[in-house]
Amino acid sequence: MDPHPDFPRLTAANHRDTSPQERRYNCIAWAVEDTEHWWQPGVYWRPPDWPIDEYGLGALERLFLTLGYEDCGMDWSLEPGYLKVALYASGGFVYTHAARQLPTGQWTSKLGKSVDIEHDTPDAIAGGLYGEVMQIMKRAVQKND
Amino acid sequence: MPTTTSNTTRDRFTRLASQWKEESVHMSNTAQMAMLRSYQQIIGMGDPAIPLLLEELQREPDHWFWALEVITSENPVPPEANGRIDDMAQAWINWGRQKGYIA
Repeated sequence: MDPHPDFPRLTAANHRDTSPQERRYNCIAWAVEDTEHWWQPGVYWRPPDWPIDEYGLGALERLFLTLGYEDCGMDWSLEPGYLKVALYASGGFVYTHAARQLPTGQWTSKLGKSVDIEHDTPDAIAGGLYGEVMQIMKRAVQKND
Repeated sequence: MPTTTSNTTRDRFTRLASQWKEESVHMSNTAQMAMLRSYQQIIGMGDPAIPLLLEELQREPDHWFWALEVITSENPVPPEANGRIDDMAQAWINWGRQKGYIA
């Protein structure tokens, strides 16, 4: 299988589709386990108090800070007791994507208006449309997670 | 003011909309989607694109909201529909019917 031009590092061996195509929610919503909304800071859903014309990585960082996440550099290893998300950006640091770590250490992503997938590492979906992984954030698991 | 749509306009819109859907399918940031050349060309069509965008929302809700806002300078989406794609599409469809752009 040739790699899709949007995802040059994605192979049949390092990912699996886990849902049919669905356009009602996006990667950020999926990262916070909401399948009812399209999340876009300052534009759709939350957070509403973000400048509508700022699409930089800071928009995503702010969103996850408001949800209790903290920066943990580029450490995407599995840490028991913590949830992690990976933030992506491309040319000019426009944010492009967010992925969520699963309790197994695998990662899950909603690919825009397309399918959900599981992928082995955050890097597996980088290198194309989503640019590169720019930041990992984490928060402690809570009772209601 | 609602206008009739020529076949040439409809054909061009259909081609651009199809191109945009293919190019934007993996995008999550609507700013990225709106910057695609195909989307910008649809915005550049101006008023004649309004009924076509509304028909497209009826057929398959998608992120045509930015284009509609830019062309019409209106936003009929109520706060409670924000982020709910189908509800946002329905708000625009209702607006289009009230204005006479679509039946």
